[in-house]
Amino acid sequence: MEKTFTEKIQINKRNKIAGLYPATKLQIVILFSISTLIINSIKLTDAKLALLLIPWFALVPFMFAITGEFKKSMKSMKPIFVVAIFIIAVQTFIVSGGQTLWHWHFLSIREKGLQTAISLGFLVLNIAGMFTWMLQSTSTKEISRCFEESGMNFKVAYIFTSSLEMIKVFSKRSQTILDAQRSRGVETEGNLKVRAKAFFPTIVPLILGGIIGSEDRVLTLEARGFSIKGEHTHLFDLKKSGYERRMLVVSIIITLLIIAGRISLWRMK
Amino acid sequence: MTKNERKQFSIKEDFSMLALLIIPVGVAVNFVGGQLASLLRLPLYLDTIGTIFVAMLCGPWVGAITGLLTNILTGIANPVNFAFIPVAIIAGLVTGAFARHDYFSVWWKWLIAMVVMGAASILSAAPIVVLMFGGVTGSGASLITATFMAAGANIWGAFIGTEGLFNVLDRIISVLICLAVIKVIPNRNLIKFSCGMFYVKDREEIAEVTE
Amino acid sequence: MAYEIECKDVTYTYPLSKKPAIKNLNLKLEKGKLYGVIGENGAGKTTLCSILRGFAPSFYKGTISGEVLIQGKPLSSYDEQISRKIGYVFQNLFTQISGIKNTVFEEVAYGLENFGVPVEEIERKVVDIMDLTDIMDLAEKSPFELSGGQMQRVALASVIVLDPEILIIDEPTSQLDPQSAESVFKIIKKLKERGKTIILIEHKVDLLAEYSDEIIVLHDSQVIKMGETRHVLSDLSLREHGIQLPQVTLLAEKLRESGMRIDELPITKKQALDLIQEKRS
Ligand SMILES: Nc1ncnc2c1ncn2[C@@H]1O[C@H](COP(=O)(O)OP(=O)(O)O)[C@@H](O)[C@H]1O
Ligand SMILES: [Mg+2]
Repeated sequence: MEKTFTEKIQINKRNKIAGLYPATKLQIVILFSISTLIINSIKLTDAKLALLLIPWFALVPFMFAITGEFKKSMKSMKPIFVVAIFIIAVQTFIVSGGQTLWHWHFLSIREKGLQTAISLGFLVLNIAGMFTWMLQSTSTKEISRCFEESGMNFKVAYIFTSSLEMIKVFSKRSQTILDAQRSRGVETEGNLKVRAKAFFPTIVPLILGGIIGSEDRVLTLEARGFSIKGEHTHLFDLKKSGYERRMLVVSIIITLLIIAGRISLWRMK
Repeated sequence: MTKNERKQFSIKEDFSMLALLIIPVGVAVNFVGGQLASLLRLPLYLDTIGTIFVAMLCGPWVGAITGLLTNILTGIANPVNFAFIPVAIIAGLVTGAFARHDYFSVWWKWLIAMVVMGAASILSAAPIVVLMFGGVTGSGASLITATFMAAGANIWGAFIGTEGLFNVLDRIISVLICLAVIKVIPNRNLIKFSCGMFYVKDREEIAEVTE
Repeated sequence: MAYEIECKDVTYTYPLSKKPAIKNLNLKLEKGKLYGVIGENGAGKTTLCSILRGFAPSFYKGTISGEVLIQGKPLSSYDEQISRKIGYVFQNLFTQISGIKNTVFEEVAYGLENFGVPVEEIERKVVDIMDLTDIMDLAEKSPFELSGGQMQRVALASVIVLDPEILIIDEPTSQLDPQSAESVFKIIKKLKERGKTIILIEHKVDLLAEYSDEIIVLHDSQVIKMGETRHVLSDLSLREHGIQLPQVTLLAEKLRESGMRIDELPITKKQALDLIQEKRS
């Protein structure tokens, strides 16, 4: 039998991890972040480096893989890798203090620099990486629905979704304006002054159109019963995958083990 | 509203339907502004214009939400932006506070506002950049910061020194753009915003009409 | 029996403005009829409709005097439920979407979701209305990527689906090509058959002549003429107020000038045909 329209707009994920309830994913990310910070406090070698953060990072691609979104997620890690590499490079070679560990012509690596390099670089990689896992495996439609289900005002969900859509609309519109300018001979290349001049006529009509349009939007929404009191219906049904409990328990156990490890290391001293 | 009477503000009134619906516009303007600035290879971020615009019209709370939401949404693509949520919120709060006190209708007042806004931005960003990212985030300006650091400058000094100027400039240009837009918004639209009355054209004349 | 809509000496002034946008408005609109509203740009047509729906003054603020009654009860006594009673399709096409839905199906369903209608009922109603407005083939398209004609039908559908007893439609065809305009009127006709009271602002008098029961003429914030369609649209003096009359009426007027005896000017092609037939026999 032909599917109903209501059935067609549902999101059905085969992968149980990808299909985890968004709030559960967030809880896992938070536990992971706490664990990461604890691991960061464990310093190894004489130079006191938070080396454990490096193998710990393996968990991020592992999560990508079991979610079945490895390629897509790795791709969206690119800007994070850039930031991390930048941090590591700058800290390693520029920050002074402590013993010199390595020296070659004008480049030298000092203890203090290497400490912050590894610590900050891998904190960013780990935490931002885990957020990437959550956000790449969850659609904005699910996030918005989850806001409402966790008790937030429906207006919050509206603004969230509407902002995302508005970004798409505005990006398209700015491209159109920019193209129109180019065809009228306004330059968008060349020296700074020329390029700066192209900025204003593009952004101003966007803001103006947006503000006038939002008046119409208020009335449109009122006409559709936006602010009516009482329970709303939701055609989109946010499902649980059934693995929520399991994943959460595993995450809690891992976190507790890490805390235990941290405490026993203190004891040994 | 007579001239001497101070307008009363309330949070509930701040978040009117119209104010709610202007938030997505602000978020999208932030986003497109930032994109456009990098597309045109401008040396400024220009990614706060929307927050400033919303705060100028609707006050600090709505402005703060616009900033918050912007960084949440850009954080979906790059979670590093989550770290800068406080900066985005403070930008909205500070601008909105100035708007409340009618700081954007006289030129010397908005000049003060711009400088304070720039300072607020740099001071709120500094602890995050220094403590979480060690002074550099991979942006164009942070290359300069890195150079200063290599030359032996203190990390806080290097960051504030480099980015300070850019931040004040960024705020000046953003506010000027917002003022230019507000100038062409008809009075009938302006008066629907909680701080809109401050920008109405021919204020004196209109005050007579409404009395 | 109470009128569907009644206005008693309503005068409304927008904030900051010196003169009223609607002056001394008195209306008695009956259930199930289609009322055409005509007048030049800025005459106050949209304002009139905003008053009937309550947006003026609830959204626009400003000052209002007089009384608006919906089914005998003051407009102010209705709460948000008024959006179930009065549907409103706005003049501006493209700002008229919820802005959060990815498919036309969901867009049309949005109002019903807000009203808390059960899922199965929503599906059924939306399918019914998409069929009526001929947008079934758009159901899975994005509302952000529609043409003008498609957008107008989606906007209509999104409002009709709430099954309001009264419908206000503001210039639905002004941005459309003749073919799309005709199809919009076909939809409006079907709505009338479903017993709706319709208030339609429209410049295309030829279409109004055919479809509407009564016409309200606005000029400079005031109703200058109101009544049965043929009676109003054959009033040649309206031309002095910048109002166009149906082409057949103007043609018949020319014939009358050239000596033909015509008692009542026709306003539709059918009436004109009848007239010619009558003359021949
Ligand atoms: N929001 C508003 N604020 C102030 N004046 C308005 C507003 N909307 C319309 N007007 C004025 O009211 C008059 C009637 O406008 P309108 O009802 O839109 O006319 P129409 O729909 O017949 O073209 C015009 O003079 C217009 O400038
Ligand atoms: Mg109009």
